[in-house]
Amino acid sequence: MANAEPASLTPTDRYRSSNLWLEALRNLFRNPSAILGMGIIGLLVLTAISAPIIATHDPIKTMIGVPGETGRLPSKPPCIPLFGCEEPMHILGLDLNARDLFSRVIYGTRTSLSVGIITISLSIIAGTALGITAGFLGGRVDNVIMRLMDVVLAFPALLLAISIVTILGPGLTNALLGITITFIPQYARLSRASVLSIKEQEFVIAEQALGASPVRIVLGHILPNSITPIVVQGTLGVGTAILDAAALSFLGLGAQPPTPEWGQILSESRNYLFTSPHLVFFPGIAIMITVLGFNLLGDGMRDALDPRLNRN
Amino acid sequence: MLTFVLKRLTFSIPVLLGILVVTFILARAIPGDPCIAVLGERASKEVCESFFRRNGLDQPLPIQFLVYLRNFSQGDLGDSMRFHRPVMELLVERLPTTVELGLSALLFAIIVGVPLGVLSAYRHKSVLDVGTMVGANIGVSMPVFWLGLMLAYLFAVLLKDTPLALPPSGRLTPGANPLPFYEYMGWVAEGEEAAGILIFLSRINTLNAVLTLNGELFVDAIRHLILPAVAVGTIPLAIIARMSRSSVLEVLNQDYVRTARAKGLRERSVVGKHALKNAMLPVITVIGLNFGLVISGAVLTETIFSLTGVGRTLVDSITSRDYTLVQGFTVVIAAGFVIINMVVDIAYGYLDPRIRFN
Repeated sequence: MANAEPASLTPTDRYRSSNLWLEALRNLFRNPSAILGMGIIGLLVLTAISAPIIATHDPIKTMIGVPGETGRLPSKPPCIPLFGCEEPMHILGLDLNARDLFSRVIYGTRTSLSVGIITISLSIIAGTALGITAGFLGGRVDNVIMRLMDVVLAFPALLLAISIVTILGPGLTNALLGITITFIPQYARLSRASVLSIKEQEFVIAEQALGASPVRIVLGHILPNSITPIVVQGTLGVGTAILDAAALSFLGLGAQPPTPEWGQILSESRNYLFTSPHLVFFPGIAIMITVLGFNLLGDGMRDALDPRLNRN
Repeated sequence: MLTFVLKRLTFSIPVLLGILVVTFILARAIPGDPCIAVLGERASKEVCESFFRRNGLDQPLPIQFLVYLRNFSQGDLGDSMRFHRPVMELLVERLPTTVELGLSALLFAIIVGVPLGVLSAYRHKSVLDVGTMVGANIGVSMPVFWLGLMLAYLFAVLLKDTPLALPPSGRLTPGANPLPFYEYMGWVAEGEEAAGILIFLSRINTLNAVLTLNGELFVDAIRHLILPAVAVGTIPLAIIARMSRSSVLEVLNQDYVRTARAKGLRERSVVGKHALKNAMLPVITVIGLNFGLVISGAVLTETIFSLTGVGRTLVDSITSRDYTLVQGFTVVIAAGFVIINMVVDIAYGYLDPRIRFN
């Protein structure tokens, strides 16, 4: 690695740790898949923020009876002005309720990105809290928490999410909660494992001997030292969470119409697949690109942050 | 080895019990009155009371749970409130669809994924390697249901009049009524009730076709299976290919492989005998872990390809509050999942002695 620091500098702990992060960041920016992933995510975030500017229409407004609109329904192929389509505006055509599909897909970015990020943040918070508690306290608490996590893991994730949403009632918020629960065990296991490996290390034992409170040890030493695998796993998890949310919406359990959400758009138009395939094609591509962005970034982060995986 | 197996078995028992408890609670927590859901809005109070009594729903929850445990241990999952038939019977009828779909998806994923991963590792940084990894990245990012819809459009609409056309729905051509193998073999007379396991096996169309030596039926079943299996298998395929690649890459850099090469062994024997054997260990775990994905995929794909499997039935029953069916199906799926994971762990311990002694 291009580490130009003079050897005479005796690094203090703090210095070394910031240097490690810097090096990880440098590795990240050298990793082509991470750069591509960051690029995709950056574009998506921009799209989500500036959705009102990019979208040509109101995503939930029906175009029937609007002056200047034909209100023609989807059997028409997508109209792209760039390719000489005369009719203005409806870049991807209209959906079954005569709403502008392009605007719906653009606004859908907001829903999917927030669902993915909120779900994973919540499950990281809950999972890490549980995992650190289990690992730090050990004994019976550890046993109860981890067996509970085993039971959650014993259900195929989507199936558990479906059951939870059925109990809570369909809707985006409940879908979000359902997916969050299925993700918690991963982070609980990861953080517990790192607590167990760090707990026995000399610097922690020294701190304990000096009379540091458990909270201080957890916040000051254990959390910072176990954050890397969690961040990597979390980035990869956002993609899966977005897929799960889309699947729930597709089954009618997630976002409810007329909310523009990609899975929901797919579910609305799936019966028209054979006559207007573009209605199904574009929302699916949008999901794929988004998930791909997070997967690429997650892979890149794993390579950059985990030196054990560095195989040249 | 025996201690390891026993240890692993005892470890699964609390998890299985946990599944029973969680499923029981989940099924009870589904909002809405099951009586009204099953008997309709106009069911009177008396009718509902007798309905509750008949289904044991008037008992306190702990008693209900004990009854449920007792029945479960006897293989009795109760009667479906919606179909008015034993849940076990429905399971025997519908599980084969899901099992056949899941196994063919997994088979597709393994047959394509492992060689692809091994070849890309062996030809590290070649066009094949880069292509496989790009493809794998795209593969894991695709929503299963969307891929299913796109495949259906491609093979049933765009390629309609070509030899590549494939049917987008159902398990067999409508009207096909295959003879179950146990009747073909004369084990059970026509019209007589066969044992559950026989019915189960005969409903796995490909297996039944092989056993009754019916080539036409076999081809028909396979043709109907291809699209949903590819849809369900794509994500596992991508994961397996990636895992095989990184695992082989790691092994190929190890000292003993270099030693094998230095000894002058032929390349085929270095890779085939020395490298692959060790590289396949993590791949086996990943294959085991993919069963969950396959089940989730099946739930979504069955809806798209109009297959009456476990997944689709379950989703439909949740909306119609069929407690007993939801409970029975969920328990069986989750228990199956736990058992598969256990078998994978044991296989892993068998293949890698280090696991056993840790």
